[in-house]
Amino acid sequence: MKLSTLLERKNIVVPLLSLDKQPVIEELLDAACATGKVTDRAKALQALLDRERLGSTGLEKGLAIPHARTNAVDGIVLAVGIAPDGVEFQAADGNFSNLFFLLIASEAMTTTYIQILALIARLSQQESFRRNLLAAKTPSEVLDLVKKVEE
Amino acid sequence: MESDRLVSKILLFIDGSEGCIYAAKFGIALAKVTGAELKALYVVNTNLLRQLEKARIFVKVEEIDFGRDLEEDGRRYLRHITELALRKELSLETELLKGNAHELVIQEIRNWNADLLIIGELEPVLSKQDTFHDEAEIIFRKARCSVLVVKNPELVDQIYEELS
Repeated sequence: MKLSTLLERKNIVVPLLSLDKQPVIEELLDAACATGKVTDRAKALQALLDRERLGSTGLEKGLAIPHARTNAVDGIVLAVGIAPDGVEFQAADGNFSNLFFLLIASEAMTTTYIQILALIARLSQQESFRRNLLAAKTPSEVLDLVKKVEE
Repeated sequence: MESDRLVSKILLFIDGSEGCIYAAKFGIALAKVTGAELKALYVVNTNLLRQLEKARIFVKVEEIDFGRDLEEDGRRYLRHITELALRKELSLETELLKGNAHELVIQEIRNWNADLLIIGELEPVLSKQDTFHDEAEIIFRKARCSVLVVKNPELVDQIYEELS
């Protein structure tokens, strides 16, 4: 599966307006809800926050991948957000996070979920991809960049 | 390999991707036509889970939970493929292994004496430094037997459905 098959303009947020961790998660979750695949927003939020309590999904080099498995979604849903100024997300390297991939999958989608997480990690390892995404000004630009790198 | 057969032992690599189901359907069609033996192999890729934990995308408890759930997923995929084969009056062997996917598949090709490996479509190539590499691509490159990469899902569906 390609990331671009899970993305539309409506589940890409550029720029993210929230300035703190939970509001960022909620803003991304709202974008995910716009796909129509989130059947229970409150339950999905709880699953994401429960996962954060196990350890922050803020990684290194500005990347954060809030994620959870819950039957509050139908299948698998992704939202991408960019915060040019960065957000304190308790990242592993102590820096602010500015590139967010929120992923939620139903319990039955374990294999696909892991494959998508690995794919996000693969793409995000590319310096030029991260740099170009951070420079994007619109959801369309983000979508085009993802499609291009997956071609 | 028996001399009168184009292929005699077809191994299907099932990784839970969309493409692997089409690979299985194509394999079933090919086994039906050639009379080859068919085996489906699912590998719980514990190596990938460890990498995700190492990269801090997973915490330890997730690595354990997902390992268990992937095993269940694998059994479900293998049951589904067995049903697909039975619908075409074909039996196949299945096996579920855990570990490094490409090493185990390559080992199985040797141990089972497969002369054709069928896999689903490969993921995009990103870079040589790619930590979370596509296992299917490594298998494609390292396999000692011929490898068939199945594409064009619509055509494969049609081939499978028209199979008597």
